[in-house]
Amino acid sequence: MKKLEYAIETHNLKKYFDEIHAVDGIDLKIPKGSLFGVLGPNGAGKSTTIRMLSTILYPTSGNATILGYDLLKDRKEIKKRIGVCPQELVIYPRLTARENIHLIAQMHGIPKTVYKERTDELLGRMNLLDRADSLSKTYSGGMKRRLNVLMSVIHEPELLFFDEPTAGLDPQSRRVVWDFIKNFQERNSTIILTTHSMEEADDLSDALTIIDHGKIIATGTPQDLKGRLGEGDNIEFKISNPEMRLDIIERARSLDFVRSGKNLGKQRVVLNALGGLRRISEIMDAVKVEMYDISVRANTLEDVFIDLTGRRLRS
Amino acid sequence: MNTLFIGTEKSNQLKYLVVKNFKSMIRDKAQLVWLLGYPLLFVVLLTFAYGPEVLTIMAPGLLITGPVVIISQLTAHLAEEKESGTLQRLTTTPVTRKIILISGLVSQAIVGAFQIVILLIVGYFLGINYHPDGNLFFLFFIPFMVTITSLGFGLILASFIKNASSAGGLAWFVILPLQFLGGAFMDEPLVELLPTSLAVEAMREVMTFGNSSIAAIGLPLLSIALWGIGGIALGILLFQRKAAIL
Ligand SMILES: Nc1ncnc2c1ncn2[C@@H]1O[C@H](COP(=O)(O)OP(=O)(O)OP(=O)(O)O)[C@@H](O)[C@H]1O
Ligand SMILES: [Mg+2]
Repeated sequence: MKKLEYAIETHNLKKYFDEIHAVDGIDLKIPKGSLFGVLGPNGAGKSTTIRMLSTILYPTSGNATILGYDLLKDRKEIKKRIGVCPQELVIYPRLTARENIHLIAQMHGIPKTVYKERTDELLGRMNLLDRADSLSKTYSGGMKRRLNVLMSVIHEPELLFFDEPTAGLDPQSRRVVWDFIKNFQERNSTIILTTHSMEEADDLSDALTIIDHGKIIATGTPQDLKGRLGEGDNIEFKISNPEMRLDIIERARSLDFVRSGKNLGKQRVVLNALGGLRRISEIMDAVKVEMYDISVRANTLEDVFIDLTGRRLRS
Repeated sequence: MNTLFIGTEKSNQLKYLVVKNFKSMIRDKAQLVWLLGYPLLFVVLLTFAYGPEVLTIMAPGLLITGPVVIISQLTAHLAEEKESGTLQRLTTTPVTRKIILISGLVSQAIVGAFQIVILLIVGYFLGINYHPDGNLFFLFFIPFMVTITSLGFGLILASFIKNASSAGGLAWFVILPLQFLGGAFMDEPLVELLPTSLAVEAMREVMTFGNSSIAAIGLPLLSIALWGIGGIALGILLFQRKAAIL
């Protein structure tokens, strides 16, 4: 068999729920062995995409090749090779952590001696070992999240889908889950990770795609995407007289050192400018506009999103 | 499990799913009380209200009424798996929908068998008069066929119902007609060809007249079996629809 270059190739993939175009023609090529981020605001279509690629939903139209198999025809072969961590907590409340994980291993036909040992090792890495035999309905939200993750990896799949695996975790547990996910990449699994956390996407992914309203609006490495915004800093501030916002943005844009300007609502303005705050504030002084609540930052993926859509990732 | 028909991989999956279902059932105290207490309560209340003589006359109907209630259990179980997403999670693994459904049927059928045995025994101690020639196997088997048939109805219902909290209740729209039109509370069925009518008829032959010859109960049993096979086949077929697990 010829060596696969891509773990996933989608071809004009669409999912409509009546009038809602949840996923509206997505073409992606995800290299084998990569950790690929899918970034987008609430309702962008991230989960729907994952649910189609992981054989839960059927596409309305379009198709995909997953690990060399046809998504519409070879679903059984795909199911053998993927692991799915859903966005919601999907665990059996009246089974223990151990039993929940074992069940998935059993469905994959893994021998008992293998899955028992592996389960204990996994529980240990996620700090769940001491509660492994309590019913999972008695776990805290964070413990359930970690179990939710473990249930997707017990069979050591070639391709892993994590749909917002760290939602609602404290920073410490988040770190544990991130390390855990990275570890799977080192074992040559391909990992698809959806998130609306730009830090997560930036830190973890080799490459990522940004989707909005069911469509891809940019794809590349985090460095690539941020690089597209140029060398400047992002200066975000409020102004005292909001009715002047558009006018100010218009004027700022005409300056040669300002690359872009966006109106973010709630009196906020963000300008991407070389030379930064000092030059901007001089100009604002000159037109007698008062700036306050000012922040200056290097380009983030959030700024990429703002640049592309004029909106924030999180509202 | 019978590996001859479905192969080792599938029979293992089936076994583990049945174990999972049972653990979930047994660890839910309220459900356990309902599963075992319901048939008891029913028989005890009727004895208390009407006395053993009336109970004996009603017994064939009663022993059919208990099993029908299992429709609500299966429907609720499957709707819960749908709503919580566990059914979807399972379908991302190599197990087929058919095996998942059959595991639900097998678990409920085992519970159903227990319920029937409890009904028969408690009924006996409360003074139901079983005909001395009544064949013990058929006393169990006829209600059990109603259990199986009911599971088929439950499956069909569950392929449409998405909401776990209303599933058990909606099932009564099927349970009550099956009970009343089948003559479970009367001595004559209102609609002859319902599985419950057929079962009450067969049950009366065995229980009241002590007659379990093929001539007496062969046709009703065959007809119930057709209802059962038809219902389960249709249920499984409906569950193959793309949206049936969502
Ligand atoms: N089963 C469904 N029926 C109807 N509409 C749906 C269904 N599932 C998703 N949608 C709609 O599709 C759109 C995309 O939803 P999706 O869950 O894919 O977004 P998402 O990017 O994962 O968002 P989030 O970050 O909030 O998880 C939304 O408008 C949602 O309401
Ligand atoms: Mg989502």
